[in-house]
Amino acid sequence: MNMISKKIKVVLGLALMMVLVFALVGCGKNEGSKEINLMSWGGDFIPREVIDQFTEETGIKVNYKEVTSNEDTQSLLEANPDQYDLAVVTDYMVEILRLNGMLEVLDKDKLSNFSNINPVYQGNYYDANNEYAMPYAVSTAFLLVNPEGVEALGANPITSYADLWQEELKDNIVVIDWSVEIMGLVLKSLGYNYNETDPVKVAEAKEKLFQLSDNIMRFETNTPEDSLVNGEAVVGFMYSNQAVNGNAQDDKLVPVFPTEGMPIYIDAFVMSKDAPNKDNAYKFLNFLLQPEIAAQIADITDFITPNKAAEEYLTEDFKNNPMLNVSDDVMANTSFYIDVAAVLEEYEHIYSEFKMQ
Amino acid sequence: MVDMKKFKQNAPAIPILVWFGILVGIPLIFVVILSFLSRDELGNIVVRFTLDNYKRIFDPIYIKVFINSLFLATLTSFITMIIGYPVAYFTANLEKKKKALAILLIMLPFWISSLLRTYGWIILLGNTGLVNNLLIGFNIIDKPLSMMYKFSTILTGTAYMLIPFMIIAIYNSVDKLDRSLLEASYDLGAGKWKTFFKITLPLTIPGIAGGFTLVFIPSLGLFFISDLLGGGKNIFLGNLINSLITKGRNKPLAAAFSVGMIIMVLIVLFIYSRLVKRNTGGADENSII
Repeated sequence: MNMISKKIKVVLGLALMMVLVFALVGCGKNEGSKEINLMSWGGDFIPREVIDQFTEETGIKVNYKEVTSNEDTQSLLEANPDQYDLAVVTDYMVEILRLNGMLEVLDKDKLSNFSNINPVYQGNYYDANNEYAMPYAVSTAFLLVNPEGVEALGANPITSYADLWQEELKDNIVVIDWSVEIMGLVLKSLGYNYNETDPVKVAEAKEKLFQLSDNIMRFETNTPEDSLVNGEAVVGFMYSNQAVNGNAQDDKLVPVFPTEGMPIYIDAFVMSKDAPNKDNAYKFLNFLLQPEIAAQIADITDFITPNKAAEEYLTEDFKNNPMLNVSDDVMANTSFYIDVAAVLEEYEHIYSEFKMQ
Repeated sequence: MVDMKKFKQNAPAIPILVWFGILVGIPLIFVVILSFLSRDELGNIVVRFTLDNYKRIFDPIYIKVFINSLFLATLTSFITMIIGYPVAYFTANLEKKKKALAILLIMLPFWISSLLRTYGWIILLGNTGLVNNLLIGFNIIDKPLSMMYKFSTILTGTAYMLIPFMIIAIYNSVDKLDRSLLEASYDLGAGKWKTFFKITLPLTIPGIAGGFTLVFIPSLGLFFISDLLGGGKNIFLGNLINSLITKGRNKPLAAAFSVGMIIMVLIVLFIYSRLVKRNTGGADENSII
């Protein structure tokens, strides 16, 4: 009995401590403080050394919260808009947050370096008036191919999405695991646009998608390049930073920019409407917009920099990499996934059916 | 007066009950309420009553997902039972010091993150993994065996992750077994096997039932195992709910699936406890319901 009540005391004590911790976390709001609260992807998306350099120069502490998805960022930001200053989200999430009224219009007067950003990456669909977002990293998705492996299987060389349907590629393709991406790939292979809503075209794409089933050996969003590096697959449809990583591990793996075109994504900084440290946040953004810093970030993260002025500071390796220094004609053939909301439910359903067939 | 005494005795449990009520009860009520709400195109929850989410669960594809999950959970429970029973049986019969060591070894994997242990399986089973490298190194095979991204890989991973629960549950009931009953059985001329099937097994059914519930329920929700080891080719309830909440932007539907999953678990446990009760005459003290 004594033992038990002792245990209960310990449990109660712990419970009390947790309540106290929650209470303390709740009152982390202080005016005129020397800090900013930042939320972004994990895995060094905003390099530590860059953050450290900012803190050293300005004395402003950066609290960096790492999240695993745009949707996590959305949940956190909408639950506590007054606890975050800045977040990095992908284009479509900028649009959602903007329409939900979560974002602050960026005061360009406080961002003297904003003009460094390439006009091409400004004023896109998610922020047509160029008010809410500061483009930070640009990426694409395309095919990473092991040509020797493709040849060994007896398949024809791969230049387009359409080539993925070759019977010889059975169990040899790894793809990003999201309905919109995979439907997009199929639609492009048929010569249609992303996020097609025409029922006839969607039905056609669905039928074609089902024929791809046998060739896909793995659906993987986080590290698809691994399957090519270890020889499990000979073709992968993946994001550009992953392809760069795969190619760096094994230079037999080469990028193929499909003739039908490819998707492009812009990850951008947005500011919470109720940001507690707005002035510090502007300082941080302006710091990141400096050409040398932007070039350093691009180099570390393997993302294309939207910072035009940074181009002269990029390393030779970066400039010579066709996946990072994308040629104009390849870039001209890219498009965004616009208006995902209109197709999401149907595509998700088709995708589930596809996986469960 | 008597009631007061009882109350005093139970009083220390009240904070814990309140704690559970807050952390389990309230979120659960939220989930149930959410499952009757709608959402707009951007995924925001709209407070408008609907039964649509529940109608959609009965879509043939989603029924398939339910069956798929049920199949995985049942198979996992049986496999862990078949492997776990002998382990538990021999562990319980060890001498005291060795027993403590064996239990420690069984619990040891819990000290490491389950996600890391799942990655461990990839290192073992991958094309350039340990097993394939060894087999190729000893010239037993010349091309790597493909062992990843199959239903059997998911099953292996799930069974591996949950088997300690089964072993410990069975161990507890074997350990409590009254040895004199076994001696009586031998004295009356029954052999080893006969004694096992007529005495030991029926008396340890409550342990098996406990283990079954402890394995069955979590195996429905270990979505990262099927994502990592199954290559995302199979959809189970856990994965479906996860993807509906994130990429699918449909929290109300995800909530309806969660409620469906809870109901499914309750039905299975109910049937199971009935079966156990019939077999043991109501002595299923380890069972959850």
